Order: sequence, then structure tokens, then C-alpha cells
Amino acid sequence: MILSGWEAFFFWFFGLAAIFAALLTVMARNAIHSALFLISSLVSVAALFVLAQAEFIAGVQILVYVGGVMVLFLFVIMLVNVGAQERGNEEIFNRPRQVGASLIFCFLLVAAVLFAVNTAYPKLQEKVTTQQANGEAVATAVNRRLPRAATLTSSLSTQSETFGAALYRYGSLPFEIASVLLLVAIIGSVMLARTLKQERSADDMAPEEFEEELIEHPEVATVEVNAD
Amino acid sequence: MTILLSVFVLLFQETSNGRFAQMKHGVVNPDLSKFLVIAALLFIIGVAGVLTRRNIIVIFMSIELILNAANLNFIAFSRQLQETGSVNALAGQIFTVFVIVVAAAEAAIGLGIVIALYRNKETIWVDEIDLLKW
Repeated sequence: MILSGWEAFFFWFFGLAAIFAALLTVMARNAIHSALFLISSLVSVAALFVLAQAEFIAGVQILVYVGGVMVLFLFVIMLVNVGAQERGNEEIFNRPRQVGASLIFCFLLVAAVLFAVNTAYPKLQEKVTTQQANGEAVATAVNRRLPRAATLTSSLSTQSETFGAALYRYGSLPFEIASVLLLVAIIGSVMLARTLKQERSADDMAPEEFEEELIEHPEVATVEVNAD
Repeated sequence: MTILLSVFVLLFQETSNGRFAQMKHGVVNPDLSKFLVIAALLFIIGVAGVLTRRNIIVIFMSIELILNAANLNFIAFSRQLQETGSVNALAGQIFTVFVIVVAAAEAAIGLGIVIALYRNKETIWVDEIDLLKW
């Protein structure tokens, strides 16, 4: 896989954008700013997916992360009202010990990546070039048969089609398990986020009974006050 | 000091013996390794966020960054395998979809826990949540 021309330009553009947005996500003082920078980082990564010819994954990334998960994050930030607490001179990072530990891990990771790229990658490249020639010949032969895009600059891609076929051919069991996982996640988050009053009403407790229990066990009331 | 120096030489031996032109070619024509480098940087930034931030919601966001770095690796290797004509080339993309599914479930559950925690402890700073410490 070698990008060239505008592909290379956009690769570096979106790659650097993703990295800078990620840095700002970690370093922003306000959690809402963090969420917005995380959105731009995820969109840049989606653009990198497009450059790697995974258009369907890029669409899923934008729909699920930017459309779903980030809205959830913003809602929770507003619910717990961190914006009000973060003003003032409070430190956003932990103590130097944690920062030092993370710096050590960062150094180890950079060293490992550089070492791996320097030693292993040229050998992989040599091994791959012969196969790559065959693969590209097949790919261009396939591309020639595809219809042209409306912009007339490139052919339409059948990537989503082949991906869908592969997903249901090789991944149908995990696909079904994922549906169970999502169901558990929905029920779990509803159970976790409800208040004590909602819990009582879910247990079929009448409001009058709840009042009586308040008289018997006053500590229930303090929990309830904390909930609001 | 000599150990450090030898490690340094070991790391940069490929680029140090006059291969600047090759590096420039690598920048102009990015290949698989550049995808991996960007993914590694995203991963490092995410790990640093998890280890250093005090706000539990920002820690969740850093975890999303880590998962995205892994996704980028999957996609890059999937593309590489597609060009070699491998039969299992799309396995990386299939795995990426499942990573996204699990990340969404994790975010929903985790944020539910954050709300429950805030209701009981009135805090979202992880260094103040020390009920299990002794």
C-alpha cells in the first residue's frame, strides 16, 4: 500500500490533525472542549479510513462515534455539571508520579515502534512486493469493469459490497453475539442511571408506602436528596 | 551512558547511514508504516490521558482514543492484505466493526456508572474516589 499525490497530502493532513486533536483532547481544561476535540480527532481518523479504502468503516465511525457516543458524552458532562467545577486554579493532571509513569510508558512505546519499524518492516516489504504486483494487477482488472463515479475522476468502489458479504460469511456468529451485548448494555445503563425513587416505583412500591418507609428509615431520604 | 548510546544507535541504525533520500521518499509516498506510526501516537496520547487526567469522563474519552488507534491498525493491515490478494483481507475491517460496537456499549455502561457515582459521591475526580483504599 503506497499512497501518492493528493492521497499522500490528505494522509499527512488528516494524520497530523488527528494527533493534534487527540493532544488537545487530553490537555484541554474544560471537559466539553475535550469532547469537541475528540470529535475532530475521530473524524480525522475516519478520513484516514477512507484513504485506506474502508469507506463503510469510515461511515460507521462517524455515525456511531460522532452521532451517538459523543452526544452521550456531552449529555453526561452536562448532567454532572463539571464545567462549573473546573473554573478556578484546580490542577487538571494528577501528581508528578503519574505523569512520570506515563512519560516512561510513552518512551517505551516510541522506542518499541521505532525499533519494530526499523528492523522488521524492510523485510516485510521485500516479501510483500512480489505478491503486491499480482494483487495490483487483479485490482486494476477489477477496477476497469466498475462504473465511473459522477465526478469522472475515479471508479465507484465495491468495498461496501464485499465487506458486507465477508461480514455475514465469516462473522455472523459474533454479529449475533454483539446484538446480545448491546441489549445488555441498554438494560445495564438504564438500571445504573436511575434514581432511588425510580427504583422504588420499578419495584411496584406505591408512593404512600414510600412515604411510610421514609418515616421508618430516614437514611433513605438523605440518599434521595443526594440524587437531586 | 554507553548503554543509552548503544540503544540509540540500535534504534536509528536504519536512518543513520545516509538514507535521508529514502526517508523523504517515505514521507512523500506514505505506506503502511506511516499508518502504524500515527496509530501508535494516538495510542500513546490515549494512554497518557488515562494515566494522568483526574476527570473520569476525560479518561473515558482517552479510552476511545486508544480503541481508535487499534482500529486504525486493523484497517491499515487490512488494506495491506487486500493489495497482496489475501483471502482473509477483510477480517481486519470486520474486527473493526466489532470494536466499534463494544466501544459504544462500553461508553453507555461507563457513563451510567459515572452518573450513579456522581449521585452517591458528588465527585468525578478519580483521586477522590478512594472507597476501596486502606
